[in-house]
Amino acid sequence: MYKKTTITNVLAVLMLGFLSSCTDLDFYPHTSVAPESVSERDMDALLNGMYNAVQNNQGRESYIMFDLVGGNLIGASGGSELAFIRNIMRTDYDLVNKNWSGLYQALYQVNNVLSIMADQPASEKRERMEGVAHFFRAYIYYNLVTRWGDVPLILENTTERVSRDPAAHVWQQIEADLAVALEKAPTYEGDYYYVSRQAAQALLARVLIGQNKMEAAAQAAEAVIALPTFSLDRFDKIFRHQQNREEIFSFKNLTEESTITLSRLFYTYAHDVSGSYVYKPTDAVMTLFDEGDNRKDISIATVSALNVINKYPSGQTGTDPFPVIRLAEMYLIAAEAKGLEGLPWLNQLREARNLPAIDPTTETAYQDAVALERRRELLAEGFRWYDLVRTGKAVEELEIEPYRTLFPIPDYEREVNSNLTQNDGY
Amino acid sequence: MRFQLIVGLLLSLFIQVSGSTYAQRVSLQVKNTTLSDVFEQVAKQTGYVFLYDDRSFTEKKISLAVQNAPVEEVLEACLKGLPISYKIVERNILFKQDESKRSLSTAAQQPEQVTGRITDSLGNPLQGVTVMVKGTTRGATTNAAGNFQIAASSGDVLVFTLVGYQRQEVTLDGQSNLQVALKMDFSDLEEVVVIGYGRQKKEDLTASVASFRPTEENARPVLGPDQLIQGRMAGVQVSGGSGSPGTSNRVSIRGIGSLSATNEPLYVIDGIPLVNQNAALLNFGENMNPLALLNPNDIESVEVLKDAASSAIYGSRATNGVILITTKSGKANQTKFGIDAFTGMSVVPNTDKMEMADPDLYLSVINEAIDNFNTQYGYSPGVSNYMERKENPFPGEPGTDWFDLITRPANTTSVSLSFTGGTDKTSVYLSGNYLSQEGAFIDQKFTRYTGKLNLTHKLYKWLEFGANTTYSYSNNKRVPGSNLGTTMMGRSLLQRPFDRPFKPNGDYYLGGTDELIYHNPFQIINEQDISLDNYRFLGSFFGRATITEGLVFKTMVGTDLTYTLDNIYYAENHPYGTGIGVKYDNRRFTPNVLWENTLNYNKTFDKLNVDGLLGYSYQKINLSTSNIAGSGFPSPSFQQLSVAASILEAGTTVTESALMSVFGRANLAWDNKYLLSVSLRADGSSKFHPDNRWGSFPSVSAGWNISNEPFWQLIGTTAKVRASYGETGNQDGISSYAYHAQMSGGRNYDNKSGIGVSTNGNRDLTWETARQYGAGLDLSFLNGKLNVTADYFIKKTDNLLYSKPEPATSGFTSIISNIGSMENKGWEFLVNANVPLGPVLWSSDFNISFIKNRLTSLIGDEALLIGANMTLQVGQEVGSFYMYKQTGIYQSDEEVPESLYKNGVRAGDVSYEDLDGNGAINVSDRQIVGTANPDFFGGWNNSFSFKNFDLAVFFTYSYGNEIYASYRTNTDRLGSGFMNMTQRVANERWTGPGTSNTTPRAIYGNAWNTQNSSRFLEDGSYIRLRSLNLGYTLPTEVAAKLGMNRLRVYLQGDNLHLWTNYRGYDPEVTNNFDPQFIGQDNLILPQLRSFNVGVNIGF
Repeated sequence: MYKKTTITNVLAVLMLGFLSSCTDLDFYPHTSVAPESVSERDMDALLNGMYNAVQNNQGRESYIMFDLVGGNLIGASGGSELAFIRNIMRTDYDLVNKNWSGLYQALYQVNNVLSIMADQPASEKRERMEGVAHFFRAYIYYNLVTRWGDVPLILENTTERVSRDPAAHVWQQIEADLAVALEKAPTYEGDYYYVSRQAAQALLARVLIGQNKMEAAAQAAEAVIALPTFSLDRFDKIFRHQQNREEIFSFKNLTEESTITLSRLFYTYAHDVSGSYVYKPTDAVMTLFDEGDNRKDISIATVSALNVINKYPSGQTGTDPFPVIRLAEMYLIAAEAKGLEGLPWLNQLREARNLPAIDPTTETAYQDAVALERRRELLAEGFRWYDLVRTGKAVEELEIEPYRTLFPIPDYEREVNSNLTQNDGY
Repeated sequence: MRFQLIVGLLLSLFIQVSGSTYAQRVSLQVKNTTLSDVFEQVAKQTGYVFLYDDRSFTEKKISLAVQNAPVEEVLEACLKGLPISYKIVERNILFKQDESKRSLSTAAQQPEQVTGRITDSLGNPLQGVTVMVKGTTRGATTNAAGNFQIAASSGDVLVFTLVGYQRQEVTLDGQSNLQVALKMDFSDLEEVVVIGYGRQKKEDLTASVASFRPTEENARPVLGPDQLIQGRMAGVQVSGGSGSPGTSNRVSIRGIGSLSATNEPLYVIDGIPLVNQNAALLNFGENMNPLALLNPNDIESVEVLKDAASSAIYGSRATNGVILITTKSGKANQTKFGIDAFTGMSVVPNTDKMEMADPDLYLSVINEAIDNFNTQYGYSPGVSNYMERKENPFPGEPGTDWFDLITRPANTTSVSLSFTGGTDKTSVYLSGNYLSQEGAFIDQKFTRYTGKLNLTHKLYKWLEFGANTTYSYSNNKRVPGSNLGTTMMGRSLLQRPFDRPFKPNGDYYLGGTDELIYHNPFQIINEQDISLDNYRFLGSFFGRATITEGLVFKTMVGTDLTYTLDNIYYAENHPYGTGIGVKYDNRRFTPNVLWENTLNYNKTFDKLNVDGLLGYSYQKINLSTSNIAGSGFPSPSFQQLSVAASILEAGTTVTESALMSVFGRANLAWDNKYLLSVSLRADGSSKFHPDNRWGSFPSVSAGWNISNEPFWQLIGTTAKVRASYGETGNQDGISSYAYHAQMSGGRNYDNKSGIGVSTNGNRDLTWETARQYGAGLDLSFLNGKLNVTADYFIKKTDNLLYSKPEPATSGFTSIISNIGSMENKGWEFLVNANVPLGPVLWSSDFNISFIKNRLTSLIGDEALLIGANMTLQVGQEVGSFYMYKQTGIYQSDEEVPESLYKNGVRAGDVSYEDLDGNGAINVSDRQIVGTANPDFFGGWNNSFSFKNFDLAVFFTYSYGNEIYASYRTNTDRLGSGFMNMTQRVANERWTGPGTSNTTPRAIYGNAWNTQNSSRFLEDGSYIRLRSLNLGYTLPTEVAAKLGMNRLRVYLQGDNLHLWTNYRGYDPEVTNNFDPQFIGQDNLILPQLRSFNVGVNIGF
């Protein structure tokens, strides 16, 4: 009955059955697709992915880098401001390296979207996506050129060992990208968490004053101010997550989508929302605001004798939206670029912030007043250092060596790309 | 297809069985009919199934007439006069050869019961001696008193064998009570070692295989088999991880084999290749050891396949060596019940080496640092940058010894029960273990339960089935390791010495505020609820069929199922609890399924012995994970995410990979003199692009037993030479889909799903290939009293897999690539001596390995910087430290170069070598200043036995490796920040010209002195008294009175002493297992020193 040969035969048949099925070596990931298979249906997802990349890749310190090296912030344990700045502006400092690589990684995603769009059939959706992508490319290059000066200009993704292009070319490209964004980006429809052509107009104003093109900057800024869409709004609305008319473009920075945990850098463990208290406002910042200024309590606070930045209220409990461009900056650009003539813009902003009008008589006194207002208004929003650099005051004000008006190219990057030169002095 | 087949078979069996009713009575009328025909008729009438061992007897013819007779009656009639007995088991009738009937029928000489006692040459009884009647299958085993009983007749020859003793034969000459003394046999040539897919006699080995058998005498209180082999084998380096229970170890076989992540060998447990994965999911600063899930008491032997000749049979996963773990199994005719238990205490050793400054010393250094700062920069009181001096808030009161407060003597308890038993057909090994091991930090604890059943059953002479199964559950309550913001070491040792953990009202002082500079370690431990649970089932089921003499087919289905549940809950008061409570819940299920078929052929033709192997295997690994984090819990007693106010993140992943393999091997031996072994494996891996998916890995090795030649005249001396070549591969460290370019999801914005390019993929990716050449010599003198093994090897690894740094302008900062080649060369020596010193037997095993690593090529030949202070450079070792070189301390301001002076460098600061002489100290001044690889390392075990006492003293050592004590960039800051410092650095600091040329001055706000430099590089050579075991076995008579066969009590001490110049806790520091980052001390909890007392009981 159960003969050896019978059993052997049965086993052999079973074996063959198994054998024929156990040969599969082709498996595919379940969370991703091949880039060439991206179709029109995936365009929305591609767009959202681009927002996510530009928001997150640059790293949280990128958003306050110019406050860190601009005398607004210092390490929470105190010490010399100059030593703090010098410590950041090091060729081997991780934050600088991450900022560089993060911006280029975001650029890679943006360029990738543009190259995919080029292969899609023309449509309104494609137009709008291209507009947004060009806006982001301009935004990324603005961040790169203001930090490092000459930087590699990459308009199509490459694995080549690239060299640095002159800053002037980079600025040109930024303007060219913004021109495309102005033409193609969607019109603002009340949701400032998305890029609009109005946002491109505003960024253009920043880019122009960044190159000290005063007249054009004033024009661009005034064009935004003139829009009925936006108006100066209550300061607490902007920084306490309430719908307002002042923000032009902000990153939504939802907790589950974000690595930009900026807020936890500022609060202490003794605070309600708790934080790791990495940076605190400098002494100068603590005395920056006049009595009655409605920005003061929103911007800074003192909790159990420790000074903290108070603009991003979540602490460790979550993340806060980050305003990239808001209308107040346009007032300040217009005021600065027009010289004394721009005084009404300055006073209108002061009025909105519950400060009396001023009437400086000399251009110097006026520009000092604008700079002071800028420092107050845009504290911990990533402006201070480049404002000092472009107005030629950085060396004097921060007591830094002249070469520290540019960031060092990170060692890590130079070690894998010998074509990159270092900025002088490092 | 296959499912239908199985289901169909099962169904038909079921129907056949349930369709019949069992008539108990039979009517028959046959004449001169064969039994087989008779049985067929009986079967038809009754539904019984007839099963035979050997059906030859059914040819017998009988005549029979019965009416309605019981089945039993018919069977009795049929079997009358035959040496066959039967048994009815349910609906089966089983026939069996009956020895007692046979002797009756053949009327041969009747054997008598022979008894005897077997001892060693000193008269101690020997247990477990196999006693066989030569030429029969009759056997017995001696009990603990050395006694046996066996049926034998005068003239029979009894054969006595026991591993470690010379075989002895005694011809019976009418005696009924024998006294036999066995002589010790020091030669291990008869020993059988486990090799890939088989076993081989040591004498026939042509490859380099190291073997270790855990015994009661050499036992250590370890968690996994990797720790078991530490220091026991030449060429195998096991570096202890931290002192935390369940932490992983680094195992490196014949040097650094690859650059990719783990560099760990392939572990194969009872034939199942494991997937190397961290037993933990959430990063808590240390990797957890997946092998801690095994009970070391279950391990029969651990074999390490060191060279390619032995490991190439494992193909594309064998470059880093293969570790074969064989668990215990039952033995025929032996029934044993054992209890092994120990309990003990562990403490953090060498705490004196990290004595921290007390409040007075601390303040004097800190204030000196502040004064130096104010003076140097000319700040006076009132200026914004002026630093105020620090004061003790509790003047005159004693400081806090933070580390002492947060640590404790830790208890360990382990209890194992085991049962071994067997008959001629069935053998069983059954065991269970409970282990509870506390960690040195309060609240740290590892608990484990394991159960094991190994079973084989011979259904027929030619067919055997079996299963090896292990089930285990472990729970680990962890504390944060180094590199985390809540590191227990850093958050206790580095606190200011006058600060305290609790306010007078019992509240915590809060870290990161003026009250406390770092997180309060008590707050971290008390306000967390951590649990890492691992459930693991490791099992194989196999069938083995002997097709013809010498030809055996085996099929095996093996599974390794691991379910991991890793939870971290930070209560609202925890520093990371964000005031509302945060919970991380990560889970992972890893089914690893293997199907393997092998055909073995073993036959001797005259003088030629052939041992062949042919095999096919398919292994599929699925990995599915889920991770959810949420915050906002009503109170700390709510811990499940269903009550969380918000979900911070949530995700699941599934990845699959598979490996299909065909392999074969032939071992040939001619007259025990000339040995040849060839093997080949072909692997196809789903991780690579179809175009370069398949690889083949050949090996060839040869040996010559010179001492078996007729011309060999040295009696008692044996010699063998070996030579080998082989190729192996490595695909570890690359992800399942590394060759695919991917657009990944999860890149959402505004709660809408988003995608982006996550990897470019690398279609050219292929495995690393190592070509290994080896030669060896085995010598044995004085009948095995002295044994020496020497091996030399060259291992060249090409296509090194590495996550190669890329410029960020490419969009990625690294890409997994095949980047270069390296070479390891080395000598290994093993000396074993067995010296009888009067009544004491001294047995000594010494091993030493010299391994030299060199990177031979890199893409573009450009040096790669790895991490902050290591490099990959052609011509240099992997593991080279690359940093500034400290040349001394500037003794006066005049010595400081102008360019540095203007950056604030002054007398008392560190001077670094300005390699390029450009006046500045920058990246181009970094240089290779040392290596993490030792010049040589090894272990030395000495065991002594005297009467009932046994003593084992075991040392491990390493020489010539450097350690980068990166923790010192914190402890040695000397006032650059306000963390505490070691007393040593405070006392050695520069305070004026000539006071120190190694330790700088105290200065606040200075990053110059703590840059990565040779200042923190130290010699990591050491000798460790790894363990000391002292055992006493009670005399058999005493044990017998207690109802036991055997009772041994022992004392065991682990990590008892350390001889080293290293100034940290312990030079064996491996926080990161990546070979590019080894040898860095990030202030991990050092290995503990433990004292244990235990018993081994046998019934």
